[in-house]
Order: sequence, then C-alpha cells, then structure tokens
Amino acid sequence: MTMLSSVAERLYWMGRYLERAEDSARLVAAYNHLIMDIPRAAELGWDVLVRILDAEPVFYQQYRVGNEQNVLRFLMAEEDSCASIPFAVRWARENVRTTRDVLPEETWEQINELHLYVTDAAEKSVGRRNRQAFLEEVISRCQRVNGMLSSSLPRDHAHRFLRLGHLLERSDMTTRLMDVGTGEILGRAGTHEATDPLIWTSLLQALSSFGAYRRMIGPLVQAEEVVEFVFQEPLLPRSVAFCLAEIRAELKPLKNHERAMRTLNRGRRKLGKLQPEQMSREALHAYIDEFQALLADLHDAITASWFQPDTP
Amino acid sequence: MRVARTMNESWKSYASGSFFDELITPKGQPRAAARGVVRLLQKLPGQEMAERRAAAELAIREMGISFTVYNEAGNIDRAWPFDIIPRVISARQWQAVSDGLRQRSLALNHFIQDIYNQQKILADGVVPADIVLESSNFKPQCMGMSPRFGVWAHICGSDLVRDGDGRFRVLEDNLRVPSGVSYMLENREITKRVLPELFENYSILPVDDYPSQLYQTLASLSPRERRRPCIVVLTPGIFNSAYFEHAYLAQGMGAELVEGRDLMVADDNCVYMRTVDGPVRVDVIYRRIDEDFMDPEAFRPESLLGVPGLMRAWKAGNVAIANAPGSGVADDKVIYAFVPEMIRYYLKQKPLLASVPTWLCMREKDREHVLKNLDQLVVKPANESGGYGIMVGPHSTAAVRRKFARLIEENPRNYVAQPTLALSTAPTYIDEAVEPRHLDLRPFILQGRDTWVTPGGLTRVALTRGSLVVNSSQGGGSKDTWIVEGKA
Repeated sequence: MTMLSSVAERLYWMGRYLERAEDSARLVAAYNHLIMDIPRAAELGWDVLVRILDAEPVFYQQYRVGNEQNVLRFLMAEEDSCASIPFAVRWARENVRTTRDVLPEETWEQINELHLYVTDAAEKSVGRRNRQAFLEEVISRCQRVNGMLSSSLPRDHAHRFLRLGHLLERSDMTTRLMDVGTGEILGRAGTHEATDPLIWTSLLQALSSFGAYRRMIGPLVQAEEVVEFVFQEPLLPRSVAFCLAEIRAELKPLKNHERAMRTLNRGRRKLGKLQPEQMSREALHAYIDEFQALLADLHDAITASWFQPDTP
Repeated sequence: MRVARTMNESWKSYASGSFFDELITPKGQPRAAARGVVRLLQKLPGQEMAERRAAAELAIREMGISFTVYNEAGNIDRAWPFDIIPRVISARQWQAVSDGLRQRSLALNHFIQDIYNQQKILADGVVPADIVLESSNFKPQCMGMSPRFGVWAHICGSDLVRDGDGRFRVLEDNLRVPSGVSYMLENREITKRVLPELFENYSILPVDDYPSQLYQTLASLSPRERRRPCIVVLTPGIFNSAYFEHAYLAQGMGAELVEGRDLMVADDNCVYMRTVDGPVRVDVIYRRIDEDFMDPEAFRPESLLGVPGLMRAWKAGNVAIANAPGSGVADDKVIYAFVPEMIRYYLKQKPLLASVPTWLCMREKDREHVLKNLDQLVVKPANESGGYGIMVGPHSTAAVRRKFARLIEENPRNYVAQPTLALSTAPTYIDEAVEPRHLDLRPFILQGRDTWVTPGGLTRVALTRGSLVVNSSQGGGSKDTWIVEGKA
C-alpha cells in the first residue's frame, strides 16, 4: 500500500509539531526550575529561550524587552507566534485533520482535546502560579498521543513518516537545548563554576534523562560528560545518536532514499567526531550550529525525495 | 414546558389538509406500509419521544464534530437538522419509481453521447439545436468522445416530489456533481441508534452498500483490465462544504482522496498520483470538482484546483472520469423539459416516471403565459442549483414579481416556469408535537457496466411550516427514508 506524497508530508509535519510542542514545554519547564535555583547575581535572562528557538527577529517585532512576562507570553500563549506551544499544537492538529483516515480513530479526538486544553489554559498559565502545571499537562498529553500511536498505528508508511518527523524534530530540539550549556547563548556573565552543574542538571531534566545519567554515568554532573551522553549515548531515546539510528532504520526501506541516506551518514560521521573534553565552549557552540545546519539539510533531502517527487 | 403523556394525542390531531401525506391517509389512518412505525410512535410517552430526539441530536453532534470542525475555517456549520420520524415507502411502489429512474438515466446518457457525436436528435428537430449548442454547459472540447459503455453521467441525483395525488414526479436531474449520499447513509445509522425497536418488525431495504456499489460502477470504467483498478476521489479540498462526503466515500471505497496537486499528467498522456514510492498510474477519477475547474489547460486557465492535461488524458482514453466532462449539458432546466421526448426518441418507450409541466420562457407563447401568471408559478433559472434564484409565485411580493418579469424579458433562455406543486407532506416532530411538513426525495442512480438505483434516497424536509424549500443551505432538514417489503 503506497501513500500520497501530500499525505506523507502532513504526517511528517504532524510528527514534528507534536514533538515540538512537547519539547518546547520541556524547555520552558526546565528553565523555569533553573532560574529559581540560580543566585540573583548570575542574572540569567528569559530571552535565552527566544534565542534557543531562533525566534529573536519575530519576538522583537512584537516586544521591546525580553523579560519573563513577555517571553513566556510569546512562547506559551500566542497561537500566532511560530515559536509558541499553541502554534505547534494547532499545526499538529491541522495535519491530523486531513490525515484522519490513515491514523487510529482516537488520534483526532486526543489531538483535539490537547488543542482545546491549550487554547483554554494557555492565557492564564503565563503567570508563575499555574505555569508548571500547564507545562506538565501539555507534556503528558503529547505523550498520550505518542503512546497511543506507537501502540496502535500499523508499521507502514503512515508510521514511518510520522516517526521521521518526530525523530528529526527531537534531534533538533535536543541540540538546541545543549547549546544553553555552552554558555555562548547565555552570554559570558551567565556561566561560572557555581552555576554550571545546576544548568547541566536542569538540561538533563528537560530531557527526562537525569535519572538515566546518574545510573549510567554517575552522580556528578559535568559538562563534558553530559554533552557526550546526550549526543552519543546509543541507548538513550532522547540522544542524538539514538534518533539518527532510528531515522536510518526508517529511511532504509523507502525507495529513492539515496540522498537522504547520504545526508544522514554525514550526520553520523560528524557525531562520531564530537570530543567534548577536547573542545572549548566556543568550539562546542560552533559544532552545534553546524549540526543543526546538517539536520536542516536532512529535512530538505526528505522533502525533495518524497514530498515533491519529480514528474516521471 | 408541558409534555403530553403519550404522543397519541398529537397523532390524533394530525392533519395534512389537502396535501398528500406520506404516512397518514386523509381519514387519519396510517398507510399500510407505515402502520408499524405510526403505531409504535403513538404509544411512546411524550417524554421519551423528546429523549429519542435528544439522542439523535447527540449522535449527530458526535458525527457532526467532524463536520463542523472540517468546515471551521470556512465558518460553515454543517450540523444538519434531522427529523427522527422516518419516511416510509412500500417496495412495490418504489419498484415503479426505480424503473422510471433507470429509464431516465439511460435516455439522458444516450442524449449526451448523441450530442457530442452525431447530434441526431438535433438534426431530427426533437430538441432545438440552439438551446443545446448555446448552453454554457455544452463543452465543445468533448466533441467526438465516446466514454466506455457510452455512459457519461455515472452518478446521477434526481430530485423527486409527490404531487397532490401522491404521484412521484421528477423535478430535476443533477448530473454534474450531485451530493448528499453520505447524509442518506448517516440518517440510517442514526435511526438504528435511536429507534432500534422499529427495525424488529420491518423488512427495510438496506442502504449501506452504496460505497461498494459506487466502487463497482467506477471500477467497471477502468481503461485497464485489472483486478483492482486505481480509483481516486478528486476533491477541491477541505474548505469545500461537501468535503466530509468526499472523505467518507473515499474511505468507504478504499480509494485515495486526492486534490489536484496530488495528480499529474505525464508525456504519455496518462494520469499519475504522486506517492512516496514514485508516480502511480490512476485508472478512474471520481471527480467532486466542477468541470470548469478540472483542467486549467482545457477550461478556466486560472484554476488552481485542477490538473493540467486531464482532458488530454481523458480524450486519449487513458483515464476514466466520473461524471465525464460535458455531462452537464443534460443538467439544465430547459433541457429537462425535453427528457420525455428523449425517452421516446432513444428508447422507443413511454416515460415511466412523470415530470413537471414546464414553460420555457424562450418560447414566445410560453413567456406570455408565464408573465401573466407569475403569482401562481414557480420560476427557476435554467442553470442554478441549491435552490438559489428561485421565485415561488404564491409566496412572492409584487416587487419580487416585477424583478423576475424584468429578468425573464432580459434573458428568456435562462428562465423556466412550472406550476406550484402541492408537495406531499410527512409527520415531522416539531417542538413537542407531530406536524405536517413538505418534503422531496433525492435518489441516486449509478450507471457503468450496470445500472443501480439506491433503495430510497435522501429525503429533505422543509422544517418551516408551509415552506416548500427543502435545500439544506436554506433551512431544510432530512429524514431517514425506508423502502419496506410486505406489510408490517
């Protein structure tokens, strides 16, 4: 059973947006924790979040200052801002709407409920009191959709393209998150010995991987080891290595996969070359930038190979 | 709110006046085929009747969720009003109607085939050539084509009414992209849910094999002999009000639901759909898009909905299109007046199904009659559907009649007039009582290798007292339609 390119494309974006909604919620939640733990003097700004998501130009069109209120409104409550959680949820839903017939019956219902929840609750969750509960609810509802899909969607093209979107988005968001730790993005003032472990711990928490880190690596949170763990650990489902291996498995059975495979293999080679203990913070930041560009190439390759196929 | 103890009281006082009523005789007795339904509903406590209606509304909302949501962006609410009292027709009576519809569909297809080929009917002067050839529905691009089995209109939705004597008459034939069949199927589902006990004592002809009948009809058109030809449903997209139906039918047939951009015509003049495994050749297109938007190369060049080259592929015989482009030439209220002639001309038979006397304003004598009797006639534009642009004489104001008189004089070809029919009524549950409301019926006729008529069809009901307008776009509702065998 083949699949229309346009349907595959919508499923791919559904996978991306659903993962983006969840990861954005994780990012904001982790940062929210972090900022309470950091001594005032460290002066971490909220605008970091906007920078991580590459949304500065859009943000500063609307707001003058990157303070807590503005940044969180931008990320949590504005359905029209392309970096927001409601935006990602809305587009996940839009893509389900036109692909309902290839997805399990409950998908539409669940994604609709998620959308209703976000629409209702986002506005009043920008303030500190309701913020965490809202973010946790978004995460858990996204997980519910993913769980339902992984337990009932046949392993055909529908699953494959959803999964490609999901894995690519996850790799992208994971590398963005790691960039916070390089300090480049925080600005020099934000990083010093005392705050470093706190930052890396919160990053691990954002990835639901702190427990796994302690068990597999040890109780001491150190920058180099965290970076290595999150990029290269083959057993960790949120690691970049894990995502790339899974992407490879999904690409393999597809016809016309040569271009995407080449790009993916470039990524895997680049991943192998990462040696955090020998890299400066600047070098690590530059590496992450390059890696994100590579993921963008992979997206382009997937789009060109399966969503915009040439005429015969 | 006072709720009657049982519905009996309300049924006893039910009176349809001079109109033919579908369920109740002029003496107030249930008609034979409807006896079981009426008896059961009479016994229902008023409270329970209200609960059943609420259950139906809930069921519709649940299905309707998909409806409203699909159309949300276009701001159209498609939660359609449904009346829970079914309309009952005996199988014997229906058989005659069904035969008449079959005959009509055959004749119409002969006509279209003739018009795009020899034009014998025009040469013989049975139908005036100018009204056919000057119609905007006549597509010169289709000249010389001869689709498989000589069939052009594979899916036809004819609107029937019953007059004061209870006789079925054809009001119009929709040959372009008739819709509504999914409502017919959903209506039956809802009735099964809310009045299940009615099904115990009745033998009601099932309607739910429509998607498989449609599949067989379409499959028979395939230009390639294959066990499973590739069939697609071509929709204008999610913002179309009938998108729900397009998705519903595609799913029911296991066909792909495609938009224009999913298809392409290659240098070999074959149609392909773009898939992740590369181009896949398409055999049959069930188009739910108006032919003017179908192929920017052949029709409107600005259309973004269509597939460039589709006409080329069709004319080369590499793809079947249902309904075939150009079918609309027989879907015109002026042409309608000639269908009985077509039946005699092509089939050498007497028309089995009555139609409605029609005055053509293009004829001077007819026009004079129409202009003199505007207050008694229904005036219709030749080329509109959905009940738009119609004037119902007895319900019109002097100003509206003056406007129509002017329209007719300006463009007589575009107007026809018919007597105001005493449309039949059926008991309809309004507020807490059973009241007569006018209705019509849209059966669907499928024609490919074989011909098939839906048992019943979609009954549309005008929910406003006295109103004759049943279109869902103008406040109409619908009813489940039963064709029942034997006596209850």
